[in-house]
Amino acid sequence: MAGRTQGFAPLAAGLIGIAAFVLIVVGPPGSRKPAPPPPVSAGPPPSSVSANGFTLTSATMDLPADDATYPDGPNADLVNARCSACHSPSMVLTQPAFPAEKWQEIVLKMRDVYHAPIAEQDIAPITQYLAARPVAD
Amino acid sequence: MDYLDERAALAVSRRRLLKAAAVGAGALATPVLAQALADLRLPGGPSRRPLASGFPGKGEMIVQRVRPPLLETPFSVFDRDVFTPADQFFVRWHWADMPTSIDVESFRLTVRGAVRQPISISLAQLLHMPRVEIAAVNQCSGNSRGLFQPRVPGAQWAHGAMGNARWLGVSLRHVLDLAGVRGDAVAVRFGGLDQPLVAGAPDFEKSLVIEHARDGEVMLAFAMNGEQLPMLNGFPLRLVVPGWYSTYWVKMLNDIEVLAAPDDRYWMEKAYKIPTTPGANVVPGAKGFPTVPIGAMVPRSWVTSLGEGQEIAFEPSIPLGGIAMGGDHGVARVDVSSDGGHSWRPATLGPDHGKYSFRRWDARVPLARPGRIRLMARCTSTAGVTQPMAPVWNPSGFMRANVEVTTILATR
Ligand code: HEC
Repeated sequence: MAGRTQGFAPLAAGLIGIAAFVLIVVGPPGSRKPAPPPPVSAGPPPSSVSANGFTLTSATMDLPADDATYPDGPNADLVNARCSACHSPSMVLTQPAFPAEKWQEIVLKMRDVYHAPIAEQDIAPITQYLAARPVAD
Repeated sequence: MDYLDERAALAVSRRRLLKAAAVGAGALATPVLAQALADLRLPGGPSRRPLASGFPGKGEMIVQRVRPPLLETPFSVFDRDVFTPADQFFVRWHWADMPTSIDVESFRLTVRGAVRQPISISLAQLLHMPRVEIAAVNQCSGNSRGLFQPRVPGAQWAHGAMGNARWLGVSLRHVLDLAGVRGDAVAVRFGGLDQPLVAGAPDFEKSLVIEHARDGEVMLAFAMNGEQLPMLNGFPLRLVVPGWYSTYWVKMLNDIEVLAAPDDRYWMEKAYKIPTTPGANVVPGAKGFPTVPIGAMVPRSWVTSLGEGQEIAFEPSIPLGGIAMGGDHGVARVDVSSDGGHSWRPATLGPDHGKYSFRRWDARVPLARPGRIRLMARCTSTAGVTQPMAPVWNPSGFMRANVEVTTILATR
């Protein structure tokens, strides 16, 4: 097991991408309901439609940004470049340990099914990184 | 080839940067770090996930993935009520390109394809149509996937990729009849406003055979638990397919296409397929078995009044409570065991909110002696299906439904 972690930054991978993402929070947890009263310059109230006692009101959302990256290790730059466009690294970092063949299958699925731009020569180094990734409890 | 790859990579990251910039422009508040961690106790790990309440319309959730969001309901929520509050209802998207703003006046739902008259329906029109309300469990096909052994790839959920709500809306049959389904129709395909991040990748779409689509129960919901849907749960409209797994409950539904030939696109033809064997069970590692699209749910039940690993003071008998679901049928009975499944006794069922809803159960169970105690609940549906003791295995991690064990420690 020790050999598997060789070359990786000493920080436990399980904690990376787990605590390292950034959330935009409206106030502390538990007080998320009312935002401060809108400034006077705020636009008109959101539009709505009603009938038979039910109203639907236009909505907007601010999705949190995710700054998490893949933990350091051989080929981490390549993995960051190829495996963060469509989903957060946590999609990968929450996976259990899989053998290299399974990871290669996953990488090929990303390319062939979801059209991830992955060049032929990138497959082996990405697979190596994923198979060597230390998995926390 | 490499050149093209590079260009595609650039296109993706540029789009991503634009999106990130757009999010930043929202400038709601200073970003903060999520702090608390949940321990999902998945065999072999990793088990820790952040708990955070910063997602739009959401209270505290277990964060499986920020983008696109995969948010799991903390299990303690299920002990409070058989109805899951909308702000803690699980969230699951496939593609990160989804609208961050929806105008209820301009939104339109189209019904097209093998129909006599394609139509475009506004939300105001929809609110004028006859309504249906149904209590139904919405459960991800891969709920509890993280407990599969050997482990399988996919979202590593514990048991919280499910929820139960009162869905209010309009019957799909009513809307299909307005457009007039042609005699050659065989299926109906549903699409939402979310889109793949790269051109050519498969858009998330699902379909139902025409008889199912017209059964009068499948509905277009504009409300859950009496309020409009949170955006992350599919505002302004989502499909509700009572008794069936959540993969069919298309969110931000804006397109209904009646098909004159079976749906051969990716998300029906290749993804969300299960082995044809009972319980969707195959030997770990099996390949090349026949598959069908996943469909109806099966009975499940959980102890919710006590948590895994909880310590209690020893008593000769203790109260036990939890929830059960019958799948595509009602809950006929729940039996409980406090001796690892050797002996069982019936639980008392709580109010019946309809066959597709969670049902509360309560019981008293004896404790033989202090120490580690394995608690179990076992549901039997009104179709006579009883949860098996042994877990199933399949390569996608679908349809876990065995009797679950909650181990507690009774100390003197
Ligand atoms: C072009 C978009 C795209 C890129 C780039 C991409 N993925 Fe994915 N990935 C997806 C989609 C879509 C899913 C399915 C998401 C879901 O079900 O929520 C997915 C899911 C996954 C899963 C879960 C297992 C599964 O099959 O659903 C893993 C693991 C994964 N990706 C790893 C990777 C790795 C490693 C890379 C880099 C080689 C990568 N992804 C790059 C689109 C992408």
